[in-house]
Amino acid sequence: MLWYKAWLETRWRFAFLVGSILVVWLAPLWISSTGVPPGVPAAKQWMGLQLGSVLLYIFTAIYLAGSGINSQTLYAATSGFHGSMLFTLSLPVSRRRLLFVRAGLGALLTCILVAIMAGYILLRRPEATSALQSLVYLTRAIVCTMPVYALSVLVACVLDEMWQFMSACFVWVAVFLLQARVEVVSRVSPLRGMSLNCYPITAPMPWAPVAVSLVLTGVLLSLSVLVLQRKDY
Amino acid sequence: MISTHGLSKSYEGKPALIHLDLAVPRGSICGFLGRNGAGKTTTMKLLLGMLRRDAGSIWLFGEPVDSEESGVTARRRTAFVSEDKELYPFMTVDQTIRFTRAFFPTWRRDLEEKYLDLFQLPRKKTVPKLSRGMRTQLMLLLAMARGAELLIMDEPTSGLDPALTEEVLQALADLAASDGITIFFSSHQLAEVEQLCDRVCLIDRGQKVIDGVLDDLKAEYRRILLVFEGEPPRELASLPGVDHLRRNGRTASLLAHVDVDAVVDRARELMPISVEVHPVTLKELFLDHVKGE
Amino acid sequence: MNLRIDFSSGLPIYQQLMEQIKHAIDTGAIRGGEQLPTIRKIAEELAMNPNTVARAYHELEREGVIEVRHGSGAYVGMPSTSSVKAAGIRRAGDILRPAMEQGLAIGLSGSELRRVFEDELARLQDTAAADRRRN
Repeated sequence: MLWYKAWLETRWRFAFLVGSILVVWLAPLWISSTGVPPGVPAAKQWMGLQLGSVLLYIFTAIYLAGSGINSQTLYAATSGFHGSMLFTLSLPVSRRRLLFVRAGLGALLTCILVAIMAGYILLRRPEATSALQSLVYLTRAIVCTMPVYALSVLVACVLDEMWQFMSACFVWVAVFLLQARVEVVSRVSPLRGMSLNCYPITAPMPWAPVAVSLVLTGVLLSLSVLVLQRKDY
Repeated sequence: MISTHGLSKSYEGKPALIHLDLAVPRGSICGFLGRNGAGKTTTMKLLLGMLRRDAGSIWLFGEPVDSEESGVTARRRTAFVSEDKELYPFMTVDQTIRFTRAFFPTWRRDLEEKYLDLFQLPRKKTVPKLSRGMRTQLMLLLAMARGAELLIMDEPTSGLDPALTEEVLQALADLAASDGITIFFSSHQLAEVEQLCDRVCLIDRGQKVIDGVLDDLKAEYRRILLVFEGEPPRELASLPGVDHLRRNGRTASLLAHVDVDAVVDRARELMPISVEVHPVTLKELFLDHVKGE
Repeated sequence: MNLRIDFSSGLPIYQQLMEQIKHAIDTGAIRGGEQLPTIRKIAEELAMNPNTVARAYHELEREGVIEVRHGSGAYVGMPSTSSVKAAGIRRAGDILRPAMEQGLAIGLSGSELRRVFEDELARLQDTAAADRRRN
């Protein structure tokens, strides 16, 4: 029943993302079926796709991680008003399990959407792609998006809905800036791991960012459970 | 059924509950009284694990509640009605009932049907579209049909009109009579507390002030009204057994506890012109214990 | 039975309930041998605490006014002349006690109180006799 409830809470966000993706990607496709936009070769179009991919992955992860964990009504912006959270907490369910289900569903949906977007990018690649290369890209796209998701889950446990988006963006912008200047960050940054700009399709699996992403995800989600267990409602 | 020892909780340095020792025996209906902000909601949230206690221990169903697991086990046998009566805005009445039902193997379908009928709740309407009264009734249905052994309720009848209130009280009395459940609820309606409860517990500014069987309390306390020639003497307040003294012109009003006869005798020694002894209502007990002289 | 309880008065509720049931027996609303409503029924109808109802029933049984048969319920006791008299005497005591407490509380002595009682009794008996003569 918790999964059902989590789905009811998340479905509109999911629908919005699916709609956005369709609009952003399929619309140009429909336009171009009547004739490629003048002066834009297929290769260039594909470049555009992959540049935008990182942003889309991040946005998807952040958007699906929010709400449902901390504040469960539209009006929970002020602390002290926790709406239906009290009802949820009065049920015979541990807070760990509550987080597991809510974050679990969001993670699943994020993976699905990232896989769809990554799959689409692979399909539109002008050059042929081997099965191994496809697998490598799909894997790292999904795995490197997970820490973005996990951080937003942690943020959702701590802050109100109003601040979640801003704080998450703040962190990843900071990472983006740091990865250009700091050697260590650039070697392990999840943002680079998911990007086709830094690691093209032909590149081998970038193990450092992928491993760090997995570890980060685990750490952030564990922290989220701890925070949630200690929180007063 | 419910037992706390030295339960304490502070918010940002300000104490909300100070060493609360609570004892609600199985099968009793206990009214939890106190002014706004006295700590009633805090106590209930602590019992249910929504707040972490600063000190003290909590026992439910005779078992200590001190971990996530013990909290989950206790909540399986407990029903809670919050002050805000908030439910999921994206669910209909039907969905909410089906959702809640899934967590409680002891759910009573017969009671679910009975209360749905009694309260006339519209099954397909979503929660935000329900009136305040209907939301309250839905929450009460969820609590009463659950098959719980313990009901903890924060102002269950607030916002309900007198007819609905009576329906709810009747349903609670019936549930207590048939299933022997324990009910612990807070209310500002002293009349309904006097009607339904066999025990009361009054807290003021985080501390317990009165706790006991209501009929016994009414038997133990007496109001003594005295008239004096001049100003009533201050020593009245320090007589043993006197809880509160109020003076007004030539009259004095005492709230005496336990050995009332002794108090009357001592008061007589101070030469009043007139002495009257009256029984005490719950309202008087309440008012005199939250703002005494 | 018509039961009316004043929950806000200072009088213990179980005593009020006992009074009400005894009154119902006196007025014939419920008679000797008839079954009383279950504790659950009374608790539900009056929206009152079932433990309090149980206490009232228990006390009534102790006084011999009702008898509780296992598995069957509570029944009004069959009146025998001596038990009716005894019950009547007990009832009178219950009714007079609070009035006498009040009298003592306002400062009357034992003999003053007795004088008041005898005066009132004489007055009542005179009025009753006068009524009988008139009819």
